[in-house]
Amino acid sequence: MPETKATNGGELDAWAFNSIFELVPFSIAIIDRDYNVVKANNNFASYFGEWRDKKCYAVYKKLNAPCPHCTIRDVFADGQPRVNDVDGIDQYGRKAHYIGHCAPLRPDGRGRVDYVVEMSLDVTGTGMWQQEYQILFDRVPCYITVIDEDYCIVRANESFRENFGDVLGRHCYEMYKRRKTRCANCPAAKTFKDGRVHHSEHQGTGKRGQKIHYAVSTSPLIRDSDRVAHVIEICNDITEQKKLEHEVIEAERLAAVGQTVAGLAHSIKNILMGLEGGKYIVSLGLQKNDKDLVSQGWEMLERNFDKTTTLVKDFLSFSKGRLPKLVMVDPRTLVDEIVDLYKDVAAKSGIELKAEPDDGIKPAPLDPDGIHTCLTNLVSNAIDACLMGEQKGSLVTIRVRENRDVLVFEVTDNGCGMDYEIKKKIFTTFFTTKGGGGTGLGLLTTRKIVQEHGGKIIVDSQKGKGARFRMEFPRARLKSLYLESEEETEGD
Amino acid sequence: MAYKILIVEDESDIATYLATVLRVNGFDPTVADDVESGLHMAREIRPDLICLDIMMPKESGISMYTRLRSDAVLKDIPVIIISGAGQDGNFDFRLYVPDQAVPEPDYYLEKPVSADHYLSVVNEILSASPGRER
Repeated sequence: MPETKATNGGELDAWAFNSIFELVPFSIAIIDRDYNVVKANNNFASYFGEWRDKKCYAVYKKLNAPCPHCTIRDVFADGQPRVNDVDGIDQYGRKAHYIGHCAPLRPDGRGRVDYVVEMSLDVTGTGMWQQEYQILFDRVPCYITVIDEDYCIVRANESFRENFGDVLGRHCYEMYKRRKTRCANCPAAKTFKDGRVHHSEHQGTGKRGQKIHYAVSTSPLIRDSDRVAHVIEICNDITEQKKLEHEVIEAERLAAVGQTVAGLAHSIKNILMGLEGGKYIVSLGLQKNDKDLVSQGWEMLERNFDKTTTLVKDFLSFSKGRLPKLVMVDPRTLVDEIVDLYKDVAAKSGIELKAEPDDGIKPAPLDPDGIHTCLTNLVSNAIDACLMGEQKGSLVTIRVRENRDVLVFEVTDNGCGMDYEIKKKIFTTFFTTKGGGGTGLGLLTTRKIVQEHGGKIIVDSQKGKGARFRMEFPRARLKSLYLESEEETEGD
Repeated sequence: MAYKILIVEDESDIATYLATVLRVNGFDPTVADDVESGLHMAREIRPDLICLDIMMPKESGISMYTRLRSDAVLKDIPVIIISGAGQDGNFDFRLYVPDQAVPEPDYYLEKPVSADHYLSVVNEILSASPGRER
């Protein structure tokens, strides 16, 4: 260490220079035009080893000849300082990774560069961390991409590249979904907008055309300001999970098919028995020349033929496995249509049918045919319940209202109502309280359509006190189904 | 005096059919459209035979059958199950009632049933039923 005492200005400068030369937390070496190390600090010696009477390439890299790309030579040549990222060898023969700042030294203050000073900062540890992070980034079992505000991929890990292809500079939607335009329900767009993490599930297409299901989380990457300049997309591949789910659903579907076929067979057998009965009574009437018997038998035949038609129609409607075709409709129009359809039937039975839509109901994305079927089933059930009830002044009301971003259709009657045992069974296949008059598929079909809209159906009823069926459709769910269906249409 | 036969069936056309077949063939049928009224009528008229449907809305025919068999007064009345349940004329009663203490019904008829077959089974069961000849 230098002396801690200075007597005049010149000595002070020399003392300060020597002190700083030794105190700085990096290695310093001064190199002449012949690549000789002419001066170095203790940090340098303890990092690179003995330097006296040695060439810089021998000390820094343990080489016998100058480096092919020598930064020091370049600094001597043009007098410009340089910073570079260098791999060298330390005094123990280990790999040394350092950032070298090379600056020209002109002893006369200008003109020729006689020396170059190289200040080296050891970043071997940092480099190792970077390498570890790179390995982690590449090998972590999920797809990671970083996208900029133009939705261009600026970084992608190995897992992503292996499955989706080489991507840098290409748009995320091109790579994840092979689309030409941005996805309608883009979670990254939300993160760019609000700076928050968003999660969603998607189906993409890999580089070999394979379908890839993934659950993505988008996180903001904020560096210098509050602005989200980049978004990190981390995707878990859930293709296998989806396959398993599909297999379970398929197994359940097959079991349900068995159950449904058994139920259908039971209904058909009952109809056949009714037809057998009609045939017997007509024939008996003809035999006895009894017109009343003939007409009683004929009515039985007609009723059971009608039942066959209804059963086939309801069964087809129930078995229809399609996604709802969502279009923006005014919910009140759907209700008005049902009132027009049923008001005469209701009036003939002495039942008042009325619509009570709230004001200001906004249009909603719904499948008009599906909702029509639901309301038809609920209103015809309500009319039947009134006919079975003993209440005077039978009334069926269809309401449509909005409750905290949930669109609600409500069909209320003051008919016979249901006890607990019946309520438990109403959504069971082929269950009916109408004897031969029902197929036991109406409410099941209704629930299926409501669920396809992301909604639910709720029933309130007490025996003798009427019933209220409420179909609830959360607007957010309808919106996301609508966007998904739009996207699929675009994708097609 | 005609045999009294109770038909418990919720579908009116089927009940009318079964009752008509019996009536024109000299029997005395009574119809109930659910289990509660069926049990009530069984106690009231003490039928010689009960024809019982299985799938009915409020309470099933199987439930009525087990209630009949545990009823001191009604337990010996022969029962024909007439239902759309089962396949190819086979009806696995133990699938519904695993309890071996409950005897199997006297006969099972799978819907649809022709009038002739129905009559022949009714006659067969009644003739096998002790002390009930008319």
